[in-house]
Amino acid sequence: MASLSEMYDVGWEEMRDKLRKWREDNCRNSEQIVDVGEELISEHSSKLGDDIWIIYEQVMIAALDCSRDDLALTCLQELRKQFPDSHRVKRLTGMRLEALERYDDANKHYDAILQEDPTNTAARKRKISILRAQGKSTEAIRELNEYLEQFVGDQEAWHELSELYINEHDYGKAAFCLEELMMTNPHNHLYCEQYAEVKYTQGGMENLELARKYFAQALRLNNRNMRALFGLYMSASHIAASPKVSAKVKKDNIKYAAWAAAQINRAYKMAGRGNKDNKCSIKAVEEMLESMQIAMP
Amino acid sequence: MHIQLTSQAYCKMLLHTAKYPHCAVNGLLVAEKTKEKKKDGHGGPVLCVDCVPLFHGTLALAPMLEVALTLIDSWCKENNYVIVGYYQANEQTQDSRPNQVAQKVAARISENFNEAVIVMVDSSRLTMSCFEPIVFIYDHVENKWKNREVTTDAFEDWNEAQTITSALLVGRSYENLIDFDNHLDDLRNDWTNPAINKSVLDLC
Repeated sequence: MASLSEMYDVGWEEMRDKLRKWREDNCRNSEQIVDVGEELISEHSSKLGDDIWIIYEQVMIAALDCSRDDLALTCLQELRKQFPDSHRVKRLTGMRLEALERYDDANKHYDAILQEDPTNTAARKRKISILRAQGKSTEAIRELNEYLEQFVGDQEAWHELSELYINEHDYGKAAFCLEELMMTNPHNHLYCEQYAEVKYTQGGMENLELARKYFAQALRLNNRNMRALFGLYMSASHIAASPKVSAKVKKDNIKYAAWAAAQINRAYKMAGRGNKDNKCSIKAVEEMLESMQIAMP
Repeated sequence: MHIQLTSQAYCKMLLHTAKYPHCAVNGLLVAEKTKEKKKDGHGGPVLCVDCVPLFHGTLALAPMLEVALTLIDSWCKENNYVIVGYYQANEQTQDSRPNQVAQKVAARISENFNEAVIVMVDSSRLTMSCFEPIVFIYDHVENKWKNREVTTDAFEDWNEAQTITSALLVGRSYENLIDFDNHLDDLRNDWTNPAINKSVLDLC
């Protein structure tokens, strides 16, 4: 079977750089990581220097995702040899148990880590992940709330909690989590946009107006965020269409919606350039925007 | 309502599920609009010719769902299709019941097509060989969603669906499947999936 480097004519440096990019972006493209990482480890391990340890970790987690226990074990054993007392490696052992659905053993393992180091956030978060994997959303939410009282700056945890709340349709609490994230990350357009989506879903005029404002804010932070653009369009349209708003509010929102619609059309035209097949999308968007146009009284 | 799934519809649902094994996924099922309206409702089966993969991950937020429904509705009108159903695969593989999101979307679809169905994909039985159908079909009966028995009758051609889906799973075509989320990330991503549709046709 041809190796990846032969098939795609890439050198080992490119493969290593790809893995680094996926690590930095926190991508969960586990099959690709396994393909690239396995070859890198087996053919080029001597060239990787100290990078090899973090690669072993990355490939091991990806291997667990793909049920490649053989590969996961190989990576784990190398890491254990190199870092025999490391809690970070012990966490990986726990993750392997989770992948095998041996949740009780995994929990015991994490408890042992926490005995030695009660501030080990990784072990605590794995225990919460186990609750989520078992479908125990209420307990997961409770544990995560307790965790956040202690580790109030853990953004990953706030985001996880917002997801859990959204899945339970508890939009008010999800909004609170996203507010925390926006406060500490005022330039992150994604948090703004997600907050706006939650507010929109909650419904009611006040929430719709807030949603519109935060979609607009997300666009200010990143004018290519299509979700924010569509969101702005939808919220402004709904506000304008409501019988409960004043004439001025209606007029303003019609303006916002019209602006958003023009931007949407423009974005689609630019995307469709050079691709004849995408015409159906452009047409569908134009029609959608026309069908939602609010008439002035 | 007796629905039948074509190979294209079935395989794209499964490819979507396979692309995001760690997430919930959902999408819409479309059928060709027929002019005949039989009064007694006992026409031929409704053939779901295609599906449009929508989202992965968080399914319970409204704005993008509304955008997708409106946009796809426009697209349907252009192509003489009608949205007849909704599919979902849950994040928890052991739970394949339609949740609140599924029911809400299906209710919305029912406003336009009163025998809308929910198709739940049982990801716990997802295999490369696709040796058995892994969908549950729910009808809205007496205000409840009831599970009906799925046999190979639910497919236009089960053997073809099985062969094609299996081939595309093995070939990792799901890596190229585009859902509406992918489209919102980059408008050039085409949620009608012409490349995959072509692969399906080539394998027929």
